[in-house]
Amino acid sequence: MAWLSRPLTLVGLVLLAHGCYSAHEHTVLSSTSAQHSTSPSTAALPLDIYIETAVATFLLCVGLVLGSGTLKPIEWHTWAGKIEREADRSLSGSGDADDATGNPFSALEARSGFINIHKLHGDFVKYSQQLGK
Amino acid sequence: MSSEQELQINPVVQDSVVHNSKVLTNLHSLTASLFGVSAGILGLESYYGFLFYIVFSLITTILFYTFQLAPGSLAEGRSVVDTSRYYKGALDLWTGGITNGLPGFILTWTLFYGLVRA
Repeated sequence: MAWLSRPLTLVGLVLLAHGCYSAHEHTVLSSTSAQHSTSPSTAALPLDIYIETAVATFLLCVGLVLGSGTLKPIEWHTWAGKIEREADRSLSGSGDADDATGNPFSALEARSGFINIHKLHGDFVKYSQQLGK
Repeated sequence: MSSEQELQINPVVQDSVVHNSKVLTNLHSLTASLFGVSAGILGLESYYGFLFYIVFSLITTILFYTFQLAPGSLAEGRSVVDTSRYYKGALDLWTGGITNGLPGFILTWTLFYGLVRA
C-alpha cells in the first residue's frame, strides 16, 4: 500500500495547483468583465473548481496518510514479541534487517557471569554418555 | 487498581509512544497546511473555513485509523475503534490533530485567500 502514497500525493498536488490557477483566472476575468458590463460580478466559483479542489484535497489526504510511516505498539509485551519475531525472521534471511534489533536485553541475558558452569558440565556429561551408548 | 500498579504490570515503551505521537503530529501539520491551501482557493470565509478544517481533519484521522491502526489492532483481536495498541489515550488520536494543525491551517488559508482573491 505504501507505494501508492507518492503517486497519489503527486496527482493531488497537480490537481490542487491547477485548481488554484483556475480560481485565480476566474476571479481576474470576472473582475475585469465586471468593470465593462453593468451587471454585478458573480463572485461564486464554477462548480468544477469546487469539485477539483475537494478531490485534490482528498487525494492528498489519502496519499499522506499512506506515507505517514508505520506505528509501533506501546505495550511492552506486544512490542518485545514483535521485535523478537522480526529478529528471528531477519536471521533466517527472509525479512528485511533494517529495523530488527532483537531483544534489547540480550546482552544482559547472555552475561557470562550468570552461566552455571557446573550444570552445563553435567548436561555435557549426560549427553556424551548418551552418545557412548 | 492504581495506575502505577497497572504500569508495573503492563509496562509501556516510551520510545514507541514518542514515535507514534510524532508520526501523528507530522501528518496533521502537513495536511493542515494543505487544507489551508484548498480553503483559500475555495474562498471560504469565517465559520465555513473552520468547519472545512474540522471536517477534513476528522476525515484524515479516520483514514489514518483505517490504514495505519486498524490492520495491527484488529489482527490482535481488539474491538473496532480501540486505539490502545498504539496510543495511550483515545482522545489524543481523535482530536489531538485539530489543535496541532490549526496555526498552519490559518497561515496558508489567509495566504492563498489573498493570492487568489486579490
